[in-house]
Amino acid sequence: MRRLEGRTAIVTGSGQGIGEAIAMAMAEEGAGVVVAELREETADAVRRKIEEGGGTALAHATDVSQEPSVDAMVQACLERFGKVDILVNNAGIYPTSTVADMDEDEWERVIGTNLFGTFLCSRAVTPHMLQQQGGRIISITSGRGLQGADNGAHYASSKGGIIGFTKSLARELAPAGVAVNCICPGVSDTAQPRGHRTEEELYASAARIPLGRIGQPADMARAAVFLASDRAKFVTGQTLVVNGGAIMQ
Amino acid sequence: MDSKVVVVTGGASGIGRATVLRFSEEGYAPVILDRDAEAGAETLSLLGSEPVEGQFIRADLTRKAEVTAAFDSILSARGRIDVLVNLAGGTFHKGAIHEVTPAQWKECLDLNLKTTFLCAQAVIAPMKQAGRGTIVNTASNFGITGGAERTHYAASKAAIIAFSKSLATELAPHGIRVNTIAPGLTGTERVRGKYDADEWAALSGTLPMGRAAMPEEIADGIFFLAGDESDYVTGATLHVNGGMVMP
Ligand SMILES: NC(=O)c1ccc[n+]([C@@H]2O[C@H](COP(=O)([O-])OP(=O)(O)OC[C@H]3O[C@@H](n4cnc5c(N)ncnc54)[C@H](O)[C@@H]3O)[C@@H](O)[C@H]2O)c1
Ligand SMILES: NC(=O)c1ccc[n+]([C@@H]2O[C@H](COP(=O)([O-])OP(=O)(O)OC[C@H]3O[C@@H](n4cnc5c(N)ncnc54)[C@H](O)[C@@H]3O)[C@@H](O)[C@H]2O)c1
Repeated sequence: MRRLEGRTAIVTGSGQGIGEAIAMAMAEEGAGVVVAELREETADAVRRKIEEGGGTALAHATDVSQEPSVDAMVQACLERFGKVDILVNNAGIYPTSTVADMDEDEWERVIGTNLFGTFLCSRAVTPHMLQQQGGRIISITSGRGLQGADNGAHYASSKGGIIGFTKSLARELAPAGVAVNCICPGVSDTAQPRGHRTEEELYASAARIPLGRIGQPADMARAAVFLASDRAKFVTGQTLVVNGGAIMQ
Repeated sequence: MDSKVVVVTGGASGIGRATVLRFSEEGYAPVILDRDAEAGAETLSLLGSEPVEGQFIRADLTRKAEVTAAFDSILSARGRIDVLVNLAGGTFHKGAIHEVTPAQWKECLDLNLKTTFLCAQAVIAPMKQAGRGTIVNTASNFGITGGAERTHYAASKAAIIAFSKSLATELAPHGIRVNTIAPGLTGTERVRGKYDADEWAALSGTLPMGRAAMPEEIADGIFFLAGDESDYVTGATLHVNGGMVMP
């Protein structure tokens, strides 16, 4: 039996990497998926892959940091699917710089995408989840949000902020049966860490991970499907850490 | 003989019973280790129509000799243990610190922490040999927040979290994952029995989701941690508590 049959899921930043894996997995479990991604071509490519696999998807060029863009995306979702049951806040960026050298624009861009984007998307779906008295919001945080980053205070702040936001929204929405949680991936095999690590450095990080390998997008996708499924309906306000034991919270 | 084997300590009642039923539905052969033979038989009878055979072994898991005998007999009968779920535990008395006798303290720590240690120790060799396996230990919201008049229980449950992380690191190179489930208030008979209907309603109402967990909901979390779905999760604590505690 497919676990998300008949549900509608919005996955932001799902043109590649972890978001793409989550979108594909949710579609495989029977959900209609909105591929809400900044880059139109990758959004459309993922939509096509989902449809080729027999799933249902809508591609929407969305900038999660812009309110009109987010509102238009949720509107398009409602027009196509008539509802929204699951939101996955996955879109994120991680440029590197020290605080001393960090310019304001970069700070704004990181907080704007990772944290403000999570707020905007959550806010846009909340009335619909309240109305149907149910739903799931899953946001992707990071080990940097727990432990800080020596070359990305903006990124760490945004990811720590997502955890505080999640717990607060979980409290706010619990009476309506809406569960709000985070997934905390460890270093994963996507484009993002390649922005600030060489290929050797990326794979060498496996040596510091108890399970001996870096994360794969599919690992995060399985956790997201669990949190979105009926089997996790009483889990709320939590951070599910999926990192091979790299950080034990 | 081909089915995966799950051993559930405290599997005769409450969350343990729900866990046995969940794994059985998923095709595992469940082995119940519990000191309560009557409840154990009742749980087995609920498995009736399930495809794979369940088994009950009576043991007081605070006693090493009984633990050893139980696991020896499981291994000789089944030849494998894929999953260990340590659920035996609970609090049976509350009391201000000056009223907790050393004997009560020891009883509580033995029941929750020592049973976890002894049973985990018993599965290490066969899991290492198989090169895989998962262990799920049981903490509680009190292991995070502490609880007035529950110093012994809270200490035992916090200890289980630290124990699980340590064991997770130790066993990761062998492909064995160790995680902790942390239930919040859960409507098992044992816990319900401590309150009258009004007290229970009031207490449940204090949770953000406005009710206590059902044992089946904790079992769902345990199944996630034990199965392939959580392949890359180890040393983690999953809280299933309707928002009661957000660590
Ligand atoms: N890969 C890792 O090691 C790792 C570790 C911890 C956390 N994370 C987090 O996981 C999430 C996914 O990361 P990834 O590794 O797949 O990254 P990625 O860079 O491969 O993918 C991110 C996607 O988000 C899109 N995006 C960026 N800005 C956007 C915006 N304003 N609006 C909509 N979409 C936008 C990008 O175009 C891209 O498709 C991120 O939140 C990231 O911070 C990743
Ligand atoms: N119910 C809750 O609200 C709650 C909340 C947090 C944590 N927990 C934890 O979940 C676990 C299960 O709780 P429950 O409410 O299902 O309890 P329960 O009393 O219904 O089940 C516990 C089982 O353990 C068995 N047991 C006790 N001591 C034993 C021993 N020495 N040897 C062998 N078996 C023994 C009992 O016979 C019983 O069948 C416990 O570890 C408890 O601390 C429960």
